[in-house]
Amino acid sequence: MPDNWGYVFAAYALAAIALGAYWRRLARRVKSLGGTR
Amino acid sequence: MTRALGWLAAVALVIGLGAAFGYAPREAVQGNVQRIMYLHVPAVLTAYLAFALVFMGSLGFLFTRRMGWDRLAVAAAEPGVLFTGLTIVSGSIWGKPTWGTWWTWDARLTSTAVLFLVYVGYLLLRGMVDESDRRARYAAVVGILGAANIPIVHFSVKWWRALHQPSTILGPEPSPIAAPIAFTLLVNWIAFTLLFFYFLARRAEIARLEDSHAG
Repeated sequence: MPDNWGYVFAAYALAAIALGAYWRRLARRVKSLGGTR
Repeated sequence: MTRALGWLAAVALVIGLGAAFGYAPREAVQGNVQRIMYLHVPAVLTAYLAFALVFMGSLGFLFTRRMGWDRLAVAAAEPGVLFTGLTIVSGSIWGKPTWGTWWTWDARLTSTAVLFLVYVGYLLLRGMVDESDRRARYAAVVGILGAANIPIVHFSVKWWRALHQPSTILGPEPSPIAAPIAFTLLVNWIAFTLLFFYFLARRAEIARLEDSHAG
C-alpha cells in the first residue's frame, strides 16, 4: 500500500490548526474578562 | 496551576508527535497512513471523557442547582465538540486512501456525526437562553440525553454490520495491537487528556468570570 504522506500531514496540520486556534481563543477570552493569563 | 498544566500538555503533545513519527513503526498493511490513528483514536477517547463530564455536570446541576456543576458541563462540552470534530475529520482523511471514500453512512461514522451534532446543539441552546438558571436547566437535560449516544457510538461496530473495524482498545478481548503501536497510542492519549484538562480549566475559568460579571 502506498504511504500517502500527504493525507498524514493534512490530518496532523488540521489538528494543529484547530487545537492551536482553540487554545488562543480561550487565552484571549480569559484575558478580556480579566482572568489569569 | 493551569499554566503548568498547559505546559505539561504541550510537552506531552511534542513527545506524542515524536513517538507517532519517530518511534512507532510503519504499519505492515496500511503503511504510514496508519499514523493518523495516533490522532484519531486519542481524539475520540478524549471526546468520550468530555461528554461523560458533561453528563456528570448536568446531573450534578439538576440535583443540587449549584452553578459550579453547570460550569463543569459547559467547560467540558466545548472541547468535547472540538475533539469529536477532529475525530471525524481525521477519520475521513484516513478513510480516503484506506477505504477509497471520504465518508460512508456506516453505523460508527453516522452515530459519531450524531454525537457531534447533539453537542453542537447543546452549545447553540446555551447561546439562545439568557437567563442563567433556565439555560443551565435546559442544557442539563440535553447533556444527560446526549450521553446516551456515547455507548451507541462505542458499541455500534458490534451491534451493526459496519465498515469501521471493531474496537481494538476498550474492547472485551485483549488488544491485538503490537507493543510499539499500543505505547504510541497511550502516549498520545495521555497528551490529549492533559490538553483536554487544560482546555477544561480555562473554559471553566471563563464561565466563572462571565457569571461574576453578569451577577
